Amino acid sequence: MSEKPFFIGYAAVPTALRFVMGLVSALLIGGAAVLGYAIGHAQDDPGDGAFRFDYGRQTVTGVIELTPLPVMHVIEGSEQIAAGDTLMLSGAGKNGALPRAAALDGQMAQASGVLLQRGEIDMLQLRGGRNGLQAAAGDGTTPAPVDLGHWKLAGEICDGKCLAGAMRPGRGISHRACANLCIQGGIPPVFVSTQPVEGEEFLMITGPGFSPLPEAIYDAVALYISAEGQLSRHGDLLVWALEPDTIEVLP
Amino acid sequence: MSVKYTPVQWNRVKYCYDALLVAGTILFLAVFLPLPPEALGHTRPVDPQITNARAFGACAFVMLSIILMIGPLARLDDRVLPLLYNRRHFGVLTCLVALTHAYFVLNWYFAFSPTDKWAASLSANTSYGQALGFPFETLGIFALLCLLVLAATSHDFWLKFLGAPLWKGLHMLIYPAYAAVVGHIALGALQSQEVTTFAWITAFLSLGVAGLHLAAALQARMSPDPQAHAVPDPAWREVCDVTDLREGFAQIAQLPDGKRVAVFLHEGQISAISNACAHQNGPLGEGRIVNCLVTCPWHGFQYDVRNGQSPAPFTEKIPTYRVRLKGSRVQVDPVANPPGTPVPPVPLSKAARV
Repeated sequence: MSEKPFFIGYAAVPTALRFVMGLVSALLIGGAAVLGYAIGHAQDDPGDGAFRFDYGRQTVTGVIELTPLPVMHVIEGSEQIAAGDTLMLSGAGKNGALPRAAALDGQMAQASGVLLQRGEIDMLQLRGGRNGLQAAAGDGTTPAPVDLGHWKLAGEICDGKCLAGAMRPGRGISHRACANLCIQGGIPPVFVSTQPVEGEEFLMITGPGFSPLPEAIYDAVALYISAEGQLSRHGDLLVWALEPDTIEVLP
Repeated sequence: MSVKYTPVQWNRVKYCYDALLVAGTILFLAVFLPLPPEALGHTRPVDPQITNARAFGACAFVMLSIILMIGPLARLDDRVLPLLYNRRHFGVLTCLVALTHAYFVLNWYFAFSPTDKWAASLSANTSYGQALGFPFETLGIFALLCLLVLAATSHDFWLKFLGAPLWKGLHMLIYPAYAAVVGHIALGALQSQEVTTFAWITAFLSLGVAGLHLAAALQARMSPDPQAHAVPDPAWREVCDVTDLREGFAQIAQLPDGKRVAVFLHEGQISAISNACAHQNGPLGEGRIVNCLVTCPWHGFQYDVRNGQSPAPFTEKIPTYRVRLKGSRVQVDPVANPPGTPVPPVPLSKAARV
């Protein structure tokens, strides 16, 4: 029993409750603004990776190497891509370039598309069909890989395309499912090392003996891990043949 | 109260309530979404689709947290009851905001792939055996399905169709849904962020929800509704003394079968009805008599205290109890009458004659 004001929704609001309701309304509205700002303002920097549409379409010629995913050792560059660069290749969306590049292993080819760039990592998203990748005339040979020995590294497995700027942010556990889909689709996977390796922070990764990455790797994507594998340099790109049995999730 | 089912029985409070909800939601999003990268210290902007997913997801979590705080807050302080009045609209809006979050996630992270995006949402990450990297999306999908079920059955039609106990049981899904949302955030977004602000807000809101529920439960345990005492005549239970009764208000007591009876004094006469409103089982005994009708404190449903029937044209009915006076002691027959059964009220003046 009490003398407290009694609220009935369809009746007039008791005078004594009006102040409380006004205060609660103000708190809710103010709280919405404060929380929206606080959470929105707390987003991490997604980095500088991006599709470089501002560069325009890039067309280059070079030698295709399957590692087993395709890369191009550029021989004739463009305004933004220098001769001697080694480019990872991808198709549109979460599709790799292997179906188009498989028949061109070790051969000269012309690649055309839009560049993705994040720091030292470069990837070319090819245009559709033969416009994106086709055999080209000319002489060129695949640079001999340089064996850099067996390495144990700590870092994160990402898909090379989102990391390079197809998505911002393109790494981390929130992005894990997307990274798995990209790698399943044939996008070159990349290891982001916590410490520079031979001066590089990004390494393209393969399975043992440069085989395709086994499915077991998906459980480790986007986590902070350590692993071991054979490292080699292909052109100016480091390729790490990661051994899945050595993966340890780090705290 | 309703006679026929219409999408919403509008009144001024509902208009204001919904306007407040929409304004708060728009304000949250309007503050979150347009923050430029320079203001955040970013080199380049976060993808708009990801910003949208984050904004709508965070907004849905905040809304869900507030919704779950309203119940225990109203138990602790009845001045919060106006927030309870239209809470279902709050829930439906939250479901729509969560759905928008899912739309942006599905059409960004799971799009552009040879795998169908719906299938990919369940197949892209299947590491259920590990905490780090757990498929937190599955938790979000579960929570969203719960919210959809709750929103779809939020209308009074479903309340009437399913009955209040089953409907309330179904709507308890909000708790596993909230737990799943907290897990979804903790195992997903919070694992990817270096700035800890959102982690602190998540902890504050989720612990706030848990803390308020604990406080309300503790208060109920510390001051429970009194038990109706046994008396020599096993057919009756003693509820209170007539001096405990006050015109227009009730005394509540728990009966041996666990149900609660509300004994009202109205115009000098005593009547007893079920404490559970036919609408959402609101505590009628915590209401009061307005215009000769017992009025539920939750949504204002009304009943004639003498027969448990809502006034025409409304059709809701609640059980009534036989009541008698033994000296100055008020006793009720613990066996409830069928809903809507008239029971003659007992005048206080007869107290000495029984």
